[in-house]
Amino acid sequence: MNAIILSALLGVVMMFSGIVLKSKPAIVSTALASLVLLLIGNLLETYGIFSIRVNTHDMLDFTKFGYFFNTLAIAATLLYVILSGKDVIKVGNYPADCFALIFFVLCGVSILSSFNNLLMMFIGIEIMSIPLYILTGADKKNLKSNEASLKYFLMGAFSTGLMLMGIALIYGASGSFGIEAVKLANAVPGGALPQAPILDVIGLMFVFASLLFKVSAAPFHFWTPDVYDGAPSVFTSFMSTIVKAAAFVAFIHLFENKATEMGNIWKMLMVLTIIATLLVGNITAVFQQSVKRMLAYSSIAQAGFMLFALYSRNDMAKEGILLYTVAYSVATVGIFAILIKMKDYTFDGYNGLAKTQPLLAACNTVFLLSLAGIPLTAGFFAKYWMLASVVKAGGAFAIWLVIIAVLFAAVSVYYYFRVIQSMYFKEGNAETTEISQGFKIGLLVMAAIILYVGINPDGLLQWFYL
Amino acid sequence: MNTTQILFWFLSGLALVSALMVLLSKNPIHSILWLILVFFSISGHYILLNAQFLAIVNLIVYAGAIMVLFLFVVMLMNLSKEKEDQKNVWMKLSGIIAGGCFLVSTCNVIFNAQVVSKELAGKTALLKEGSIGLIGPLGKALFNDYVVPFEISSVLFLSAMVGAVVIGKKD
Repeated sequence: MNAIILSALLGVVMMFSGIVLKSKPAIVSTALASLVLLLIGNLLETYGIFSIRVNTHDMLDFTKFGYFFNTLAIAATLLYVILSGKDVIKVGNYPADCFALIFFVLCGVSILSSFNNLLMMFIGIEIMSIPLYILTGADKKNLKSNEASLKYFLMGAFSTGLMLMGIALIYGASGSFGIEAVKLANAVPGGALPQAPILDVIGLMFVFASLLFKVSAAPFHFWTPDVYDGAPSVFTSFMSTIVKAAAFVAFIHLFENKATEMGNIWKMLMVLTIIATLLVGNITAVFQQSVKRMLAYSSIAQAGFMLFALYSRNDMAKEGILLYTVAYSVATVGIFAILIKMKDYTFDGYNGLAKTQPLLAACNTVFLLSLAGIPLTAGFFAKYWMLASVVKAGGAFAIWLVIIAVLFAAVSVYYYFRVIQSMYFKEGNAETTEISQGFKIGLLVMAAIILYVGINPDGLLQWFYL
Repeated sequence: MNTTQILFWFLSGLALVSALMVLLSKNPIHSILWLILVFFSISGHYILLNAQFLAIVNLIVYAGAIMVLFLFVVMLMNLSKEKEDQKNVWMKLSGIIAGGCFLVSTCNVIFNAQVVSKELAGKTALLKEGSIGLIGPLGKALFNDYVVPFEISSVLFLSAMVGAVVIGKKD
C-alpha cells in the first residue's frame, strides 16, 4: 500500500513543484528525490518495518512478488530519470506535469502488482494507460507525436471497452469480481474435459484480447510501431519497458488464477499467440531502416518471449518474468538513452560511433547483446528461464515452442548486430549531442547490472527470496 | 389488472415502439429523439423495479449527456440529410450476427430465470421490494466494500485532468 499511496501523493507534489520551482533542473532533482523516497517506502513495507495499513476488503493482496516487482519498477524508473531526466524536460513546456504523470503511472504499476479483484485490475490498467496517452502526445508541435497520441488513445479506449465488456460478462457468469478460478459447471471427477460456463469463457477471451493489446502482442500489435516511433523518444523508453513489464505482471497474475483448468484449447491459443507475436516482431524488425522503429518491433518480439510465462504459469515463470523485467528494462532504457543523444536515428547515424564515443558504443553493445540473449548478459538468462519454464510445464507443444523461439532468437541477432556493425565496422562520423560525465557513469552502472545479472542471476533471485 | 401491470405493459409497449422508430426513421435527428423516449421508458421500468437511483442516473447520463453528444455529432457531421447510404452486404451480415448473438444470450438469461429456476415466474415488478437500487445501500457498498477502488479512481481522474491541462494549455 505504501507504493500506491506514496506514488499518488508524490505525483501531486511533482505537479505543484512546477509552480514553485522555476528552474527546470531543479524539477529533475525533485523527481529523483521523490523516486528515492518511493523506493525507500516500498522497501520499508517489503521488510515489514513500516507500512500504511488500509482495510482493502480483499481488493488488494500484497505479496512478496508484488513488492519485489514494485522495487524493480521503481528502481528502473530511477535509472531512467538519472539517464534521461534532462531529456524529459526538453519535451514540451510542462516538465513538472510530465514527471507527475510518470508518478501516476507508477501508482498504476503498483496496483497491478497486487490486485486481487478485476475492478482493481481495471483501475490499475487505466491509471497506467491514460498518462501514457498524454506522454505520447507531449511534444505538441510535432505532428507525428500528435498522430501517435490520437491513435494510441482511440485504440486504447477501444481495448479498454473490450476489457470492461469481458469483466461484465465474467461478473454476469460468476457473480463476483474476484479473480478466483473460473467455476467449472458439470465438473465430474474423473470425467471428460470439464466445461466452463460459456459466459465466463467469452468474458475471459475479451479480457485476454484487451491485455494482449496492452502488452502489444500479435494480433493486437498494430499500434505499437506508430506509437513508439511517433512518441518523444524519452517516453517511448519508459513505455516500452516499465509499463510493459507491469502489464505482463497483471496478465500473468490474472490468468494463473483465473484460467487454471482451461485445458488444451487454452494452451493452443497461447501457442498461436506466441508464435504470431514472435513472427511479426522479428521478421518485420529485420526490414527497418530506423533504429527507433526497429526497437519498436523488437519490443513486440520481446513481448513474445515474455508471453512464455503465460503459457507455463509456474514458479519458474514468475522468476523468469522478474529476470526479464530487469534484463529488458535496463537494456532498453540504456539503448534509448543513447538513441536520444544521436542526431540521426537511422542505422547509418550510428556509423563510426566507436571512434567518436567509444564508451557509448561499448555500453550500447552490452545492451544489444543482452536483448539478443547472448550468454554472459542478463538477457540470456531471462530467455533461458522463460524457455526452461515452458519445458517444465510440459504439454504437447512445449518442445516445438522452444525450438521456434530459439530460431526467432537467432533471427533477432541479425537486427541487433546491425547496430553493432554500424558502430564498429562502418566508416562514418556519428554525431551526438553533448554528453555529460554523469550520463557516462549512469550507462556504466547499467552495463554493470546487465553483466552482473548475466553472470550471477541467482544473486537477483536470492534477493527476491530473502 | 392493477396499476403496476398497466404501467408495465404501457412502458414496455412504448419502449418497443420507440426503439423500432429509432431504426425506421429516415432522419437521424428524429432517431435520436425517439431514442430519448426509449431511455425514458426504460427509466420507468427501473422505477417499477424499485431502483430509483438507477432511473435518475439513466436519465441524467443517457438521456441527458450522451444524447446531447449524439446530437452534436450528427449536426457537426451534417448527417441530417434524408438520404440513406447503401451499406455493403458484409456490414449488414455482421450486424445481423452481432445482434443475433445478443438476442440469443438475452433470451437465454430470461429463459433460465423464468423457466429453469422459476425465480421470476409470474412477476412483473418489484415495487416496494428490495433495496438494491436505492441510494442508501449503494452508498454503503461504495464506502465499505468498494472504498479502495472508489478512492483510488481519484488518481485516475487526477491524471486525466493533468493530461487535459498538458494537452490543452496554450504554449
